[in-house]
Parts: sequence; C-alpha cells; structure tokens
Amino acid sequence: MSDVAAAVVAPPADAPSAPAQVVAPDGVFLIHGLGGTQYDMGSMHKRLKNAGFVTHSLTLPGHGTQPEDLLNCKAEDWIDAVTAKYREIRDLHPRLHLMGMCMGSLLAAVVAQQEKHAKGNLVMLAPPVYIDGWATPWYRVLRPLLYAVPGIGRTMKVEEEDPFGIKNEQLRAIVKAKFERGENFHYRWVPLECIRQVDRLRAIVMKSAKDIRCQTLVVHAREDELTSLSSANFLVEQIGGARARMVVLEDSYHMVCVDNDREIVAKNVLEFLGAALPGATSALANDPRMTREELEVAVAAAFAALASGNFAGLRELAIPDMTWVQPGANAVSGAHAGKKFASFGSRITEGFATRFTAPGSPVFNRGVALMPATMIAEVATEAGNATLESQGALLFAFHGGKLLEARWFADDVELEDAFFGAPDPAASGPSPLETAFENAAALSKTLSKAPDNDSLLALYSLYKQAGSGDVTGDRPGALDMINRAKFDAWTARKGTSRDDAMKAYVELIAKLKSGEGTGKE
Amino acid sequence: MHQVIVIFIVAAAYLALSGLSAALAFSHADAWTVWLASGLTLGLLLARPRRAWPAILAGVFVGAGTFALLTGGKLEAIGYGAIEALTGAAGAWIASRMTGLPARLDRPRDLAALVFGGALPQALLGAFIAGGWNIAAGGAEGIATFRMWALSNMVGALLVAPLVIAWAQFRPKRSGGLAMPAFAGGAIVSVLFLLSMYLLFRAGPEQHLGGNVGRGLIYVPIVFMAVLALLWGLRGATLVAAIGTLIALFETKWGRGPFAGIVGYLGDPELEVQAYAAAIALTGILVAVLVAREHIATRLAREWQTRFEAAIGAHRLIAYEWDPASGRMVVSGDTAQLLGVAPGGIATLADWLALSVPDDRARVAERFEQRALSERALDTLAYGVHGPGGAPLAVSDEARPILDHDGALHRVVGIVRVANGAASRDESRL
Repeated sequence: MSDVAAAVVAPPADAPSAPAQVVAPDGVFLIHGLGGTQYDMGSMHKRLKNAGFVTHSLTLPGHGTQPEDLLNCKAEDWIDAVTAKYREIRDLHPRLHLMGMCMGSLLAAVVAQQEKHAKGNLVMLAPPVYIDGWATPWYRVLRPLLYAVPGIGRTMKVEEEDPFGIKNEQLRAIVKAKFERGENFHYRWVPLECIRQVDRLRAIVMKSAKDIRCQTLVVHAREDELTSLSSANFLVEQIGGARARMVVLEDSYHMVCVDNDREIVAKNVLEFLGAALPGATSALANDPRMTREELEVAVAAAFAALASGNFAGLRELAIPDMTWVQPGANAVSGAHAGKKFASFGSRITEGFATRFTAPGSPVFNRGVALMPATMIAEVATEAGNATLESQGALLFAFHGGKLLEARWFADDVELEDAFFGAPDPAASGPSPLETAFENAAALSKTLSKAPDNDSLLALYSLYKQAGSGDVTGDRPGALDMINRAKFDAWTARKGTSRDDAMKAYVELIAKLKSGEGTGKE
Repeated sequence: MHQVIVIFIVAAAYLALSGLSAALAFSHADAWTVWLASGLTLGLLLARPRRAWPAILAGVFVGAGTFALLTGGKLEAIGYGAIEALTGAAGAWIASRMTGLPARLDRPRDLAALVFGGALPQALLGAFIAGGWNIAAGGAEGIATFRMWALSNMVGALLVAPLVIAWAQFRPKRSGGLAMPAFAGGAIVSVLFLLSMYLLFRAGPEQHLGGNVGRGLIYVPIVFMAVLALLWGLRGATLVAAIGTLIALFETKWGRGPFAGIVGYLGDPELEVQAYAAAIALTGILVAVLVAREHIATRLAREWQTRFEAAIGAHRLIAYEWDPASGRMVVSGDTAQLLGVAPGGIATLADWLALSVPDDRARVAERFEQRALSERALDTLAYGVHGPGGAPLAVSDEARPILDHDGALHRVVGIVRVANGAASRDESRL
C-alpha cells in the first residue's frame, strides 16, 4: 500500500498564475510484526500522514492470508521483501525513515545495516532482541530442542493469548473479541518454525546492530510481556549512545502503538522524525516545509473553496484531522475536527448557505496565513430571508502543503450568535439520526448472512459518504477490482448530504435485517 | 488412515502402561497395586470429543487384548479387551454427562465428575465383571479379584486420567502461559517433593533417625504437593504426582519405605500404598482445581468490570455510593478523564463537594443532606463541577436511596452524567 503521490497544491481559477508546486515530502517505511498487519501500528500511519509524511508499508511474505502460509517463509524472505521495497521507494523522497514494530523493527534494523541506511532515521518499536518478557512461558527455553525434532516446527502451533500485548483492559477486550470473531487483523497462531525464523533474525540483529549508522530511536515498554527492557538496552549499547536513544514507556505492554502510551509513542516518533505536530501552535514553532510561494498558492486555493461555499473542498487540501474553529456560543460554534468537520461543513452550507468574500491581503508567518475576509450567510425565516455579513479574519495553518487548521475570527461574535441561534443542547452528543446510524453500523456486524455484492457496495458507499463526505483520493487501478468498485460506489454518492446518507444507510440495514427475519434475501 | 494411527498409538500407550503396572505388581501375592492403563482409557475419552471415541476404544481393545494374550488364551484376550473398552466407555459416558466434553478440570464439579462419575463406576463395573467371571469359571477368588481390580483401577484412574486431561489442553503460547518465576518456584517445590518421596521410600529415614520416623513423615510430600499445585496448576501437579507415586509404589513393592513389611496397619502394604498414592494425587488435583476456579472467577469479574467501565465511560457517567452515616463515598468511572481526579481521590462527600463549583457548592451540600433524610425514589440535581484543568462542567446527578430490611436508609447511590463540551464553549469564543 503505497501512497507515493506527492502533495500537489493546484491553484484555483482566480489565483495568481503561479505554476502548480510539487512538494516532495519525506517518507516513512513502516514494517509490521510477526503474524500482524498494519493494525500493529495503530494510528501511526494516520499520524504520520497528518504530519506531512508519505507512508509506505508492505505485507510481509506469509502474512495477510492464513497462518499456514508462514510455513514456507524464512527470515531471508522477509529481509528480501523489505529490502526490495526499501530500494523501490528510497529515491522517491528527500528523506526516508525506517520504522518497524516487533519483528518488523528487527527487519528494519537489518535493512538499515545492510543498505547502510543514511537517508533518514530508524525507529524500532518494541524490538524483541531477547524473548524474555514477564509473560513468556517457561518452555520458551526448550525451543532449540524442539527445532531439532523433525516435523515439530511445522506442526506445532504457538498461539496468541492473554494479555495480547495490551495493558489497557478495554482495548484488550476489543482485541480479544476481534480474535474470537476471527477477524484477520492478526494471526491467532504462528507455526513454531516461524518462531525459529524470528530467532534467526534476532541472531542477525545481535551480530549486526553495531554497524547501524543512522540515528535510531528505540521505544520499549518496561512491562513488555514478550521482550524485556534488556532488548532496548542491548540495541542502544550496540548502536552507541551518540546515534541511539531510548524511550521507556511505563504504562504499556508490547503493543506500544495501541496501548495506554500510544500518544507518548506518537509524540516521540514525530519529534524524532522532525515532524510538525498538527495544530497551529506547533506549526508556528516548526518549519512549515513550504516556500512562501507555495504557501500563497495554498492559501489562495483554500480561500477559493470557501468563497464558493465549498467547505467539503477544503478537506481535499487538508490532513484528515483538520480542525476548523468557529467562534462564539451559537449553533455552529466550536472546534470541528476530522469527521466532525464534514458534519459542520454540511450544516453551515446547507442550513445557512455560508461563504466567504472580500479577501484582504494575507499576512504570512512561517506556515500560518492571516487574511481579512467577510462571512456571508443566509437563512430563510418567517419574516423572509435573513442575511449575515460578518467581518473578521481567517487563519490558515499549513505544513508540508497540507492545511492543518483553519480559524475564523469574527469582529462581532454577538452578531453571529444572534444570527446562527442558540447552541443545540443535543449538539454535544449524537443526534437521533447519528445514534440510529451508529446503531445500524453495529447491527450490520450481526447480519447472519453476508449481503449480496450490490448491497455491500451500497452499505460501504453510504457509510463513507455519511462519515467522510464526498469521495477523495485517486481511483484504484483496474487490477485492484474490489477497491475500484468500492471507490466507484462511493463516487456515485457524490453530493449526497450526510443526513441523507445516514438515513439511507439505516433504512438499508433495517431492510437487510427484516429480510433475515422473513428468510428473504 | 488417521483412525488407524490413533488406534495404534492408543494400543501402544496402553501396552506400555500395562507393562509398567505389571512391573509395580506385588508378584509374591499376584496383587496388582495400580492399573495405570485404566486411567489412560478414561482420560483419553474425556479429553476428546465423542466422535473420537470409536478409535480410542478400538485402541484400548487392541492394547488390552494384546496384553492379555501375552499371559492367557484368545478368549481371555477378547474378554479382557472388551471389559476394558466397555468399562472405560461407561465411566466416561457418565462423567461426560456431568461435565461435558472435552472435559476440563476447572471446577470442583469437574473433579467430582471424574472421581465419582468416571473412575469409580469404571473400577466397580470392571471389578464386578472380573469377579463374576472368576466365580462363573469356578474360581475361588471372586471377592479378592473384585477388591484388587476395583482398587488398582481406581488408583490408576486417579493418577493417569487427570494427567491426560490436563495435558490434552496444553497449547504452546507466545505469551500468557506459566511464566518463568512461577515455573522456577514450582521446580524447586517439585524437587523437594520428589526428594521427600525418595527419602521416605528409598533411603529409609527410620534407619538413620530410628523408630517409625518414616511413617511419621509421610504427610510431608503431601504438603509439597499442595504447594506445587498452587504454583504449577493441574498439569504440573498431575505429572509430578504420577512420578512421585510411582516411586512409592515401586519401593513398596521391593519392601522399602514406611508401608513395607507392616502387616495389619490398614490391612497390607499394597492397600496402604494405594491409599497413599490416591491421597497424593487427589491433593494435587483438588488444590489445582480450586486455583483454576479462582482464576476463572477473577477473569469473569475483570470482564464484567471492563464491560461496566466501557459502558459508563462511553456515556460519560460516574457512579457513586454514599454512606450518609460515615460520609464515605465510593466512586466508579473514569473520573481521571472526566474530572481530572483519580477515583481514589474522591473518598468522602467533602471530596465530591470540593469538586463542585463554588456557586453551586452550598446547594449541592444541602441536597445531599436532604437525600440523607429522605426516602424519595429519585432525586435529580444539575450543577457544575470542575473538570480537568479547572474548567467548569455541567453535570446531572440522579440519586436513589438503598433501604434496609426495615425501610430505613442504608446508602445513597447515584449516577452523574458529565456534559460533553461545556468547557470548550469558552475556549471557542475567540
């Protein structure tokens, strides 16, 4: 899954005739652990994307299908796959960082050493140099004996068990439920032969760690149940204190990216990679990684979207978690981030026909632009149409070509409060429709029989439209038929309002459930 | 093909255990102290689903028949094989009705099912058939055969069946199995257990210490077995108990140990060592089962707690129980996230009042006083509390009284719903 497209900021029609600027962002190559998937990394992909990185990942040989497929995989296969991917993407970015989780961190270390990686940093999350965590069973020491017995390695299954690498009880219950449902986010077991290959990989890392030349961050939980802190200490000693540093987590087990300390992990990783954290404040304090010209083009594009009342269009210029801050104490005020921004945009355009006009000259400070503007909003009342003309200033915070945050500063907040009306008491919680939508989403998982393909595509497209708004991104290639069909189905919903999409979704789920009850399709 | 392999393996295991049992027999009296193969039959049947029973029973028939063929004729071989298969199936069927299949020794009920539903009927039925056969064939040892068969089968079942059931559940784990510290502790205790058995039955402490010291110390291994079961659980306890009792049986057969050569204490050395082996095995199993039951209860309680916390956390709820007599308050919910205070930081009503905003504090205190005097079914109050960072948050507090058997107030319990986003309102006013 490669997101190699560079961030392109296309100029709006009324923008200065500057050519499209291509920003070549840094890349991060993420490698999952044994038996795992990208789930191992939690929200790290999203965090990195929010911070302006392009992320790359791969599914290691034998993974993503069924555990039996690991039987014919050797450590060299994994190393070769990671090396090939590394060479493929190495020249796409000015800097390319390597990051791995558990066994993935060992693979990242091997590649860093063998490829003499110096184009970026190395992040090792919970590296299992030693298999000696507090919850590893006593018979782990018998592994070498069992390896010598023919047939055992291929037939013996080593299962995942409590605590599943997670200290947080709530998260652990979720992971346990996923295992019980048979969801394919992580293998329930791996063959003993596979553990043997990990042991071989460990031996390679032990031997070669001293030759790693790039800056390295080792993140390890003190209570890691699989591998003790000795592993992190070993790596830092071998790589050397001048190049390697360690972050010790105090409230997590092995799965550091999803457990209690995930925020600490994300913060340390982003800081180590020199990223700007989302938010205007940090953007002010960090290098925006944009030239003045690039920033001017980006601001013009953002304002063009607002000038046409196309709040959804603003999302195409932004990170997924972009935040819009609307002042006052009225029906639309508040900080609207991520999916909430889609809801806010829908409400403020459909309910109040809001747009911005009369842009003044922006003032730039690093990645932040402040420009005077006037907000125009209209609403039909019993006495006729009411119009709001509110003067103020727009603030845009950009980083790496992506909009992190937008704020509207109204000169007269009371004027806007009077126009938009009092806040809806229920606005702090989900609306009845949102509740019905969430319930329907939960109900969809209880369907005893999988719906037909058309229904599945309808469910997917309505869910995406309700949750994320109009389709974004590139259409998948012809060979990726499933994702292409999903993308097309979502595209067909373009323009459907969030409420309409939620209603249709709820109705479709109700129809499917009632069909089950009557024995119909 | 798979079935044939199962039959072969079961038959081979049966023969091996039969040979071991024969080696432990008191040959001078033609007395079988323990018949380990009966435990294998019962254990395998209980550890496997019913669809696997035909192959297991066929293996038992072949193994028992082959063993009988070595010492008798074809008729005896067929008869003996049939008895072993029949009695094993009968015992396993009764036990499975009580505990289900595959059996797990996690509860005292499971242990009772194994002993009284499985091992005892298996031993008595076999003893009845064997004793009757002896009498029908004109023999004069029907009663002796009945007793010997019943006891040796019973002891064999107690030693081997739990071992088979426990190890049939074994699955190698990446994490979550017996951790190294518990393993090391159990290893030390198991060495002490085996050493004490060796000293009692092989080294002869009475020879060094004089008198009946050996008999006086026979309780010592049982203590070690109990501790071992605490540390290692069922698998470790059954394995070490089997090894230890084999030492006792073997040494007693050769006239060594506290039970040898003293006729008349309980009857004879065979009977005494049988009872001792059964006591050791049952001690280990019982302690391990109780430990497993506690683990299950703890796990269920944690799962319940996790579900409860997830539910109230998702709704931004805090639950409290207030004792008006003492003023003590117990709070559940994610108070750290919602209010910036750990649950332990709210131990009294005064702590709770301190969280309320100054303007509302007197009103809240007054209402709690009324709650302590009132028996109103439901009392709802809205007020403000300080959230994380001191920002004010609106809460809705619903309280109900808990009355005792006389209808007097015992406790006040309540649910506090913390409004979402009230603090951000000021923040958003730019």
